[in-house]
Amino acid sequence: MNRRAALGSGFALGALLLAAAASAHHAIAAKFDDAKPLRFDGIVSSVDWRNPHVHLFVNVANADGSVQNWAVELESTVLLGKSGWSHDTLRPGDAVTVDGIAARDGTRQLWGRRVLESATQRQVFDVKDTAPQSPQSPRPTPRWPDGQPRLGAVDGAGGYWAYPTSTVLVQAGATVAMDADGVLAKLADAPRVAPFQPWALGLYEHRQRRHLADDPGFLNCKPPGALRQFQSPYGVQFVEDRERNRIFLLLGSGNRNYRIVYLDGRDQQGQVQGDDDNPLYYGRASGRWEGDTLVVETRGFNEDFWFTNGGLPHTDRLSLIERFSRPTLDTLRYEVTVDDPGAYTKPWSSGWELRWVGGEELPVYFCQDNRS
Amino acid sequence: MRLLRTIVAVAGVAVGILGGATAQEGHPLKGSWLGEWAGNTTHGDNILLILDWDGSAITGMINPGTDNIPVGKASLDPKGWVIKIEAEGKDKSGAAVRYVIEGHIEDLELPNRSIVGSWSSNQGRGTFMVSRQ
Repeated sequence: MNRRAALGSGFALGALLLAAAASAHHAIAAKFDDAKPLRFDGIVSSVDWRNPHVHLFVNVANADGSVQNWAVELESTVLLGKSGWSHDTLRPGDAVTVDGIAARDGTRQLWGRRVLESATQRQVFDVKDTAPQSPQSPRPTPRWPDGQPRLGAVDGAGGYWAYPTSTVLVQAGATVAMDADGVLAKLADAPRVAPFQPWALGLYEHRQRRHLADDPGFLNCKPPGALRQFQSPYGVQFVEDRERNRIFLLLGSGNRNYRIVYLDGRDQQGQVQGDDDNPLYYGRASGRWEGDTLVVETRGFNEDFWFTNGGLPHTDRLSLIERFSRPTLDTLRYEVTVDDPGAYTKPWSSGWELRWVGGEELPVYFCQDNRS
Repeated sequence: MRLLRTIVAVAGVAVGILGGATAQEGHPLKGSWLGEWAGNTTHGDNILLILDWDGSAITGMINPGTDNIPVGKASLDPKGWVIKIEAEGKDKSGAAVRYVIEGHIEDLELPNRSIVGSWSSNQGRGTFMVSRQ
C-alpha cells in the first residue's frame, strides 16, 4: 500500500471510528434493523475496547477485490469483561466470521450477534453474564440489631442489586411482547401498556415508531429517575446511613448518579406535586418502614428525562409509591404505583424482583455526554 | 409594537446564546414558543406563546408582558399532532380581536420542535410558525 492509500484508509478508519463513537449508547433497535440480517468474513483491523459499546473493525473483501471496513458493534466492556473477554481476545490480522443485523441508516455498521474466530471456530464476545445462582435453601434476610431488614450490604462487604426480572414497565395484569429495551413487538399493543391519556399514548407510539432513538438517557446521559434505576443494566447499590436517617441509592450505569431517600419524616416541599420550584430527576423521596417493607413516596420530578425504558411519557405531576422488601438475602422485591394525572387516566402498578450480587461493587460504567 | 419586536428579538438572541431549547419530554406543547404570525398588523408579526398543561387543559398566554392575550380554548389531537388555539385580545382602540391559530407540531421528538400553520382573526389572517425555546 502506498503512502497516499495508507493515509486514505487511515482517514476512512478514523471517520468510521468517529461515526461509531458518535452513535454511542442506544437501544439496539434504535440503530440496527432486525429485518436486515447480515453475515461476512473478514480480517480484524482494530478493536475499540470502550463503553458504552465495544467496536470491532473488520476489513471485508468485495467481489471486485476492493476492501471495505465495517464496524461491528458489541456489548459494553462491562458485560464482555464479565463474560471473560478482553481487548486482546482478538487482534488485528485475525480472521473472523460475523453474523448480525445491519444499521438502519445503511452505513457499514453491524450489531454483532455472533463472532467466530476463523482459525479456531471459537465463538468470541458472546455475553455469558447471568444472575448469580440461587442457593439451595434460601438465606435469611439480613437485619439490623433492632430487627429491621437491611437492604444493602452487611458488615462492610460489597454488594448490589441487579438482574431485574423485568427491564420494562407494563401495568400489572397486562402481557405485552417487547424487547429488553422496551420496543414493542406490535405497535397495536401500545394502549395495553398503561392507562394513557390520548396525548401520552400518541407520544409513546411516536417514540416506539422511532425505535426509542430519542431516549435522553442514552443521548444525553440523563438520569433514569426513580423507578428506571431498578431496571438499569448495571444495578443499584443501597447505602443505608442510619445516623443521618437516609438511604443513598447509587446507580451503576447511566451517569452514575445517586438518589437520596429521606427517612426523617420531612415534608414534601413545593407548590404542586412536590419540589415545584426545583423539580428533580429523582424527585424528592420520603420513606418510612411498614413492618418489613420500606415504603417510599416520591414527587417533584422534572420532565427532562424518560422515566422508563421504552419511552413511557410523564409530567411533573408524577408521583410514585415504591415498596421495597427483602424476603431473603438474595431477593429484593420491588413494587411501584405510578400516579401521574398529567399523563395517565388512573394510577397503575407494576413490580419485579432483583438479585443480590454479593461481595462486589457496582461495575465501572460512566455515561458522560454520550461517551463512556 | 417596536417595543415588542425588540423584546422578542432580545429573547431570541438570549436563547441563541444560551444554547437552544431546554429538554421537555412531557406534554409536547408545554413551554415557550417564539416565532411569527405573519401579516398581523394588530399585534405585530412576532409572537411569544407560553403554553402549559395542567393534566386536563392546555392553558397559556400570548405575548406576556406586552399584549397579554390569554389563551382561551386550546386542543391537541395526537393524530397528526394537530393543534387549535383560540384567544381574544384587544386592538389599540379596545375592540376585541378574536384569534384562531390552527397548525400541527413538526419534529415532535426535538426540544426545539415547531408549530406550523395559520392564524386568522376578525382583522386579518396569515401564516403561523413558532419554535419551542
